[in-house]
Amino acid sequence: MSRVPALLIMHADLAAALLRAAEKLYGPVDDVDVLSNEGLSRADLEQAIEARVAAWPAGGLVLTDMWGGSCYQSGASVARGHGEVVVVTGLNLPTLLDYLHNRDQTAVSELADRLLRKGQDSIRVQRGLPA
Amino acid sequence: MSWLLHRVDDRLIHGQVVVAWGQRLRPVRIWVADDASAADEWERELLATVAPGIEVHVVPVAEAAAAYAGEAAAPGGAFLLVRDLGTALAVVEAGAAIPSFTLGGLHYAPGRVKINEYIYLGPEDRRAARALIARGVRLEVQDVPATRPQALPTLDPATAAP
Repeated sequence: MSRVPALLIMHADLAAALLRAAEKLYGPVDDVDVLSNEGLSRADLEQAIEARVAAWPAGGLVLTDMWGGSCYQSGASVARGHGEVVVVTGLNLPTLLDYLHNRDQTAVSELADRLLRKGQDSIRVQRGLPA
Repeated sequence: MSWLLHRVDDRLIHGQVVVAWGQRLRPVRIWVADDASAADEWERELLATVAPGIEVHVVPVAEAAAAYAGEAAAPGGAFLLVRDLGTALAVVEAGAAIPSFTLGGLHYAPGRVKINEYIYLGPEDRRAARALIARGVRLEVQDVPATRPQALPTLDPATAAP
């Protein structure tokens, strides 16, 4: 099974920072592209995503920071024309690491479902206890 | 309650609108006046789903202008969104008595000059801005509620009405 490529598209410097944080835990990462929405109109954002997605022979994942934002909308618009491109939103560090650990042995659609579960499971609450 | 915000933003409904302005002003309806989006069913559905709990109307300019006075009298507050200054002018020329627009995001494109980090204007944009100001519509530049609004003609004297 071939590796599932990914594009991280997020606000400000988050995509690059998140990838850098992941590399601290995982090691050097190939085949992940990063993009910021800063200064880009929706049309330009879609073009930038399209250019990257067009280079994926068998689809891949567009990973965005927030459902409903311009990164998500542009990703969704581009995915509309590419059946094997799947958008996953609300990405965090545990989810990105899970992608890295599973991208070589999981198909695009299954990997997206896996990240959804991982993301939902990754936010937890630990309350303090009285001394 | 009535109109809470009239915003010019080439991203239409997105994070700044829903999260920053939406949490602050709590609109119950968002009107997107945009002929292209209104003609595209997928785009209409996308825009409707990204503002949870808010009623979204994606309509042509003429329909937005026709609904404008009625919305002003309806219960709950509303946002009006347009993608550029030309559309803002078209809504006003079609009869909507809009007192002001907030310029929240007009991003770089060839032929546009930088006004600030998130506003770039070309000759057509400036022409529309002057026409709006000549009609008594105030134009303010402000991306999110936490930043200070600035009058467009102060930032860009080329938009001051003749």
